[in-house]
Amino acid sequence: MLYALMGLGLSLITGVLNIPNFAHGALFAVGAYFLFSAIHAVGNFWLALVLAPVGVALLGLAIEYAGIRPLYAAGHDYQLLFTFGLSLILSEGIIVVWGPIGFSQLPPPLLRGGFDLGFIFYPKYRLFVMVMAGLLVLATWLFLEKTRYGAIMRAGIESKEMVSLLGIDVHRLFTAAFALGAYLAGIAGALTAPIRGLSPSMGVDMLGIAFVVVALGGLGNLLGAIAAGLIIGVAQAVVALYWTEASVAVIFAIMAAILLVRPQGLFGIR
Amino acid sequence: MSDLNRRDVLKLGAVGAAGAVAGLGFPAVIRAQAKEVVMLGIWPFTGAFSDVGPILDRGMKMALEERGMKILGRPIKYITRDSATQAGASTRRVEEAVDGEGAKFVIGPWSSGVALAVSEVAKRKKVLHYFSGGTEDISGARCHRYSFQWAASPYTAAKTVVDTFMKANPRAKRWHLLVADYAFGWSVEKYIKEVGKTHGLEFVGADRHPLGEREFSNYVTKAAGNKPDVVAMINFGLDAVTAAREIFNFGLTPKLPLIMSWSSGVEELVQLAPEIRENLWVGSNFYYTTDTPVAKEFVKSYQAKFGGPPGYAPAAAYGMTRMLLHGFDRAKSVEVQDVVKGLEGIEVNDLVGRMRVDAQTHQTLRPFFFMRSKPKSAMKNPMDFADIIATGDTPLPAQYAACKDIGSF
Repeated sequence: MLYALMGLGLSLITGVLNIPNFAHGALFAVGAYFLFSAIHAVGNFWLALVLAPVGVALLGLAIEYAGIRPLYAAGHDYQLLFTFGLSLILSEGIIVVWGPIGFSQLPPPLLRGGFDLGFIFYPKYRLFVMVMAGLLVLATWLFLEKTRYGAIMRAGIESKEMVSLLGIDVHRLFTAAFALGAYLAGIAGALTAPIRGLSPSMGVDMLGIAFVVVALGGLGNLLGAIAAGLIIGVAQAVVALYWTEASVAVIFAIMAAILLVRPQGLFGIR
Repeated sequence: MSDLNRRDVLKLGAVGAAGAVAGLGFPAVIRAQAKEVVMLGIWPFTGAFSDVGPILDRGMKMALEERGMKILGRPIKYITRDSATQAGASTRRVEEAVDGEGAKFVIGPWSSGVALAVSEVAKRKKVLHYFSGGTEDISGARCHRYSFQWAASPYTAAKTVVDTFMKANPRAKRWHLLVADYAFGWSVEKYIKEVGKTHGLEFVGADRHPLGEREFSNYVTKAAGNKPDVVAMINFGLDAVTAAREIFNFGLTPKLPLIMSWSSGVEELVQLAPEIRENLWVGSNFYYTTDTPVAKEFVKSYQAKFGGPPGYAPAAAYGMTRMLLHGFDRAKSVEVQDVVKGLEGIEVNDLVGRMRVDAQTHQTLRPFFFMRSKPKSAMKNPMDFADIIATGDTPLPAQYAACKDIGSF
């Protein structure tokens, strides 16, 4: 579900802004670090979980407004280079602010421990993450499908020119899409922190997987990103049970296999 | 003379100036270079282990600065390159530093798999190479005159860990291993299994994971399914930290003991919450409470400089550099082959106690430490992670020795 959440955010940015956001992994890491700092500041996990992704969304908003927007006229390559450079700046920024050595963040007391299902002991916090990420994916989906602004975003993915001709401010649309994508990356990072801990490089691993999810689902296809995130997550879990060494390779093997048959991805049309 | 125009005069002037630079300026530079002893630290500043690159650099610098950046009256020029924890990048950068900067003494990198590739470069370029440790091959099957290993042999580590743990937990016979799938993991796994035979251990599972693995839930559920008495990890850095977290999240620890067989100590323990460190047993090549005069002085100045105690990484870089400098002192020469001979058979009381370099294998014979993590209530300060409960220095038995002939220069 976390893969779907990351893929959904990246797909939204890629679809609306038409740039591969190389800083998506770094925003994921920033979300985790914001959660860590917010817990220390407010002393409450739940409040911190609300604040951290909002902080990342605001950061995304600022990045789009101050960094990407001036480059729309300069062309695709410049935007691509900008997001790549930004990912390095954010990763180094984490080291400057929080240091090179990582931290552990325990789940809140309510979600510590787990359920003994007889054949397996499953941590409560992982179940919470699964449900929470599922609800977030559903909420994002409903927003995009059932609201007017969601419809504008989807229309922006299909044809920015048409949206612009209808009198809609596309720049505001781009900013909103980037902020929403950043929010999804930020909350995925915040939710992951108690599972995997925090380290400055934590976004790098996730970025690779998020790009696989986007390519597999079809560039800019939101339903595809959700489906691909689920496929990758389930495949990785199943393969790891029987052939643990191949659990990372399987992600890329699935992508290669599907793209050979459907170069446009599972749900893509371009 | 009348044919000489302004352009020709300028050309002649340029040639003359170049000649003057060649005749006067360059020899001065060349003389300076000939006096300098160039040492290369090949550390991971990017990629896997990028978190330890800067602290490895600190350790090497501290050892050099202790000597005033001089050896045998000559200035030491310390240069660094990024290993990126990639064999290709490391070998290319070491070759460039040797050819371009005149580096003759190479310390690093941090990953054993990458170190084996650098060791081959050292052999080809005839430069001295010091590596911390992890794989048994540097002082084993792929030994040669130019490479040395500072850390304990994987056998020494395995023997210390298994013997000490079994003495404290004689009924914990069912072991599940979680092994990093590269040279270091394979070496330590092999000897844990060998030593385990003498205790009648049953290895109920041994899963290998790639370097840089971040999703350990499936490994942990598999380990839990095997119903072990203990889980022993043979991995390092962020892999070990991430796996320890998952083992805790899935409820295996603190009910079951968890062994980090070859840990960096402080750098890993500080990343784990006290709750996760409960019932944690840790093997390491260095811990900052090591009771030797050199270690005490090193820890004191490291803490004064950087505000926290050093772990295995800066200690290894510091210790390797000190050993290298002892080699210079013994050789009374700055020539590579003389320093190699100076190091062969050298015996000193240094960072971790009595240390001797085996001339036949270039393995450092030295103690390995085994610690037990402290409960939160027993910690005297936030960095008071563990007590050293044993040290072991059993060398690799002859039947396992793979370095039959270290060869000539």
